[in-house]
Amino acid sequence: MSEKISPTIANSIFDRRSLLRRSGAVVGLGALLAACGKDFGGDTAPGRVGLADQATALPEGTINDALVVRTMQSLEHAVVAALQAMGAAGLYTSAQQTYIDRFIADHVSASDALGEAATAAGAEPYACPNPWFVDRYVTPVYDAVAASDDVARDTRSATLAFETMLAHSYQHMVGLLSEPAHRRLIMTLGSSASRRSALLSVLWTAPTHGYLGPALSDDATESDAAGFPIHYAVPASFGLVGQIPVLVGAPDAEGSRYGTSFQTPAENTFVYDYMSC
Amino acid sequence: MTSTRGDAPTAEDQSDSRRRLLAGGVAAVAFAAVGARSVSAARPRLSTTELDLLKYAQRFELTARDLYDEAISAGASDPLWEAMSEQHEAYAHGIAGLTGLSADSRNDDLFGQLRVSFRGDGALQAAYDLESAAVATHLEVIGTLVDVDAAELIASIISAESRHCVVLADVMGRGNELGMTLDNSAAPILP
Repeated sequence: MSEKISPTIANSIFDRRSLLRRSGAVVGLGALLAACGKDFGGDTAPGRVGLADQATALPEGTINDALVVRTMQSLEHAVVAALQAMGAAGLYTSAQQTYIDRFIADHVSASDALGEAATAAGAEPYACPNPWFVDRYVTPVYDAVAASDDVARDTRSATLAFETMLAHSYQHMVGLLSEPAHRRLIMTLGSSASRRSALLSVLWTAPTHGYLGPALSDDATESDAAGFPIHYAVPASFGLVGQIPVLVGAPDAEGSRYGTSFQTPAENTFVYDYMSC
Repeated sequence: MTSTRGDAPTAEDQSDSRRRLLAGGVAAVAFAAVGARSVSAARPRLSTTELDLLKYAQRFELTARDLYDEAISAGASDPLWEAMSEQHEAYAHGIAGLTGLSADSRNDDLFGQLRVSFRGDGALQAAYDLESAAVATHLEVIGTLVDVDAAELIASIISAESRHCVVLADVMGRGNELGMTLDNSAAPILP
């Protein structure tokens, strides 16, 4: 019995001749596309959507001793801005204002020394507040403190945190400096910052929580019963460079307060040589 | 009833022991190699001048430790004295860890000069003066060091000892005197 094949099926069967013919056509088409591809010549950049202006490339910043000096100068001014804002709002007691006035004088003096070092290093002094630090820390912390349910407590906390941030930052910056003379200057100012931080801890923390932090005393804790961080006069054996927790402001509907952590300077905080004020 | 395993270890046990021995040996060799590399990498980084300077700083810290211990032996009972002693010992060990220099000797001349002051009523003032001098001394040291790791270590000691000054001023009842807490007029004690 002969086998019948339907026309549809018969059309789909490849015999050797049609297979050769079709594969030849595929190879030819491939060669044509490859040849044409060389002449496409279109823009190879990623496509853009919308009509926004072209992005401006950031200038290249150089991390050197001048950058460190200028950055610390800007942080001194940022802390001055914070202290002056809280002072102008009457958040300090008259006794506290005595310390704060001395602190501000120290910050201005430190800024002068840093400005001279910047000039000596062939750079322009940066005698104004660090814009990144002011936007991220000074302004929101001040706003939270001013609106707090306990302004006196939060003013102390914020002031202590600002001074501690400077102490940590000076020590941290030593690792980025190359000139021993610059390291000496930075740590001379860092020593003063540590003293200011310790003084505030002695006055505001020690009467309740003692001098020594958890690393040195079994009785010490990181935060108090209400959850506020405790800044000890001597928090550890060696100087610290870590972040400084801050918890201030009135509680919101869920009972949470404004919280942040002050950081030591990094690439986003640096005052690069192309920045001026 | 006796154990069916007997006293002799089985072949499997012997193999296991040998494997552990080999593994332990390899680990020990690797550890020794890493250790040797870290030491050999650390030593050339510091010049002879830097090592001498760091040895001086280390002996200064051990002197401070012994002076606080002297005060304790003379009757100072506040736990702060013990804490201060341990702080300075930690700094000496920190320098030892960085340099490989053994923390085994103090500055006998300095100890002899200050010993009596730490045993009397003026021990707190003596301690404050010593901490202030330590900060001034380490600032001179950091202004000479080229090695960044050594500079960072000394910087961390400066930060801590600056805080010690403020605490000691407060313990003396002079925490409200800004000249005591914020200014450091001490001269460095140099070799």
